[in-house]
Amino acid sequence: MASLGYDDTDLIPGQPWRVHDSRRPHPRIVTPAAAPGGPPSDAVVLFDGTDLSEWESARSPGEEAAWKVEDGHVEVVPGTGDIQTVKRFGDCQLHLEWASPSEVVGESQGRGNSGVFLMGLYEIQVLDGYDNPTYADGGAGSIYGQFPPFVNACRPPGEWQSYDLVFETPRWDEGWLVEPARLTLFHNGLLLHHRQEAQGPTGHRNTSSYATQHDEEGPLKLQDHGNPTRFRNIWMRPLTDYDAE
Amino acid sequence: MREPVYDDTDLIPGQPWRVHDSGRPQPRIVTPAAEPGGPPSDAVVLFDGTDLSEWESAVNPGQEAGWKVADGCVEVVPGTGDMQTVRRFGDCQVHLEWATPTEVTDDSQLRGNSGVYLMGLYEIAILDGYDNPTYADGAAGSIYGQFPPFINACRAPGDWQSFDIFFETPRWGEGWLVEPARFTVLHNGLLLHHRQEAMGPTVHLDTSSYASPHDEEGPLLLQDHGPMRFRNIWLRPLTDYDAE
Repeated sequence: MASLGYDDTDLIPGQPWRVHDSRRPHPRIVTPAAAPGGPPSDAVVLFDGTDLSEWESARSPGEEAAWKVEDGHVEVVPGTGDIQTVKRFGDCQLHLEWASPSEVVGESQGRGNSGVFLMGLYEIQVLDGYDNPTYADGGAGSIYGQFPPFVNACRPPGEWQSYDLVFETPRWDEGWLVEPARLTLFHNGLLLHHRQEAQGPTGHRNTSSYATQHDEEGPLKLQDHGNPTRFRNIWMRPLTDYDAE
Repeated sequence: MREPVYDDTDLIPGQPWRVHDSGRPQPRIVTPAAEPGGPPSDAVVLFDGTDLSEWESAVNPGQEAGWKVADGCVEVVPGTGDMQTVRRFGDCQVHLEWATPTEVTDDSQLRGNSGVYLMGLYEIAILDGYDNPTYADGAAGSIYGQFPPFINACRAPGDWQSFDIFFETPRWGEGWLVEPARFTVLHNGLLLHHRQEAMGPTVHLDTSSYASPHDEEGPLLLQDHGPMRFRNIWLRPLTDYDAE
């Protein structure tokens, strides 16, 4: 039987382990889904096409989310307000799929507008950005009002599109910011942000900052911006660091 | 009806643009593939299942790669040595699929071992890590010898698995390191590293460092460490915000 490692190598700089250390914890096993985009074994499934039991009204927490579930997806019912998860999350990897309305109405920010808010505070823009110019920091996949996407990876209206998002919450110490929030986003598999520092919770028409400390966890929120955007296959997995048990 | 444009908002801190600036460049349009894992419109397809025209021997650059193409995949021919792309790349997003041998032999590092080297220098380990313990910093998806993967996301031997790798090259100024290399890796869609700084080019049994500057671009290299199959390999150069 081959050796499972070494015990006479140098320590890796900055780590309590030796190079190829036989005692270093083995990575936790997670079973990936059979098909791309499916929930892995450690995922919290937030919407599988059947009901909104994981969701509530963001306006009136505790009350039911009023969006419409049919044909395996959920659609914004304009005017009913944002919806958010009942569960709260910190660092996470999130998958969701969305489709902007097949019938094209309006333009710029008025066309197929919604949003995904991490912790209810940090927005990744959802927008029909196919042949629809708008201000860059409000493009589909932008960290709204702060960073445009690296590229415009939009599919045509009505087609399903994927977001895969990696989010690190900000860290505070005694009321002071120690680490800002950071975001990585793949849109239809293409990189739009690479562990980009957010400048603070999302604002509109204004710069953002970490003026006020917030909770360590928050809900995932989806925005009612008056357009009947559809969502499906929403899951989230909490992120763990190296050498987690 | 056009939404209002904004030219009277504050400057975004650290950027030459105002909030919602109407003059900020539109993001470059890239058409994604119809199916997950397929090459987008700006990809360089390195292997589509037909031939190794984009590859060369890493042992003897300029000579043909000695691996075997069959049934839409390329298989390591043990002993022929590593192969590398003819083209050179810097910052990039790489997609590749690999399958370890169906017939399981040996264990730990001797079972289904290969590797993908960015710039020919920075290795993400490929290993049959399904029910096969090994040292953590040599597991499938590890930044070999430096950082284990966050998790073990391996499929069973013979099953096709995907790596999506996002790589930033190190930056040097006058011979001094300014920025280290950084990796984000998804294995079968699951996060293994999040823009992690590499400690230097990959070595075995030793610590690594950025002792000497290297070229700004390098080949993508696949390792001959015994039998392994690959398919659907593409790469797209990464660009920063506001690139034309």
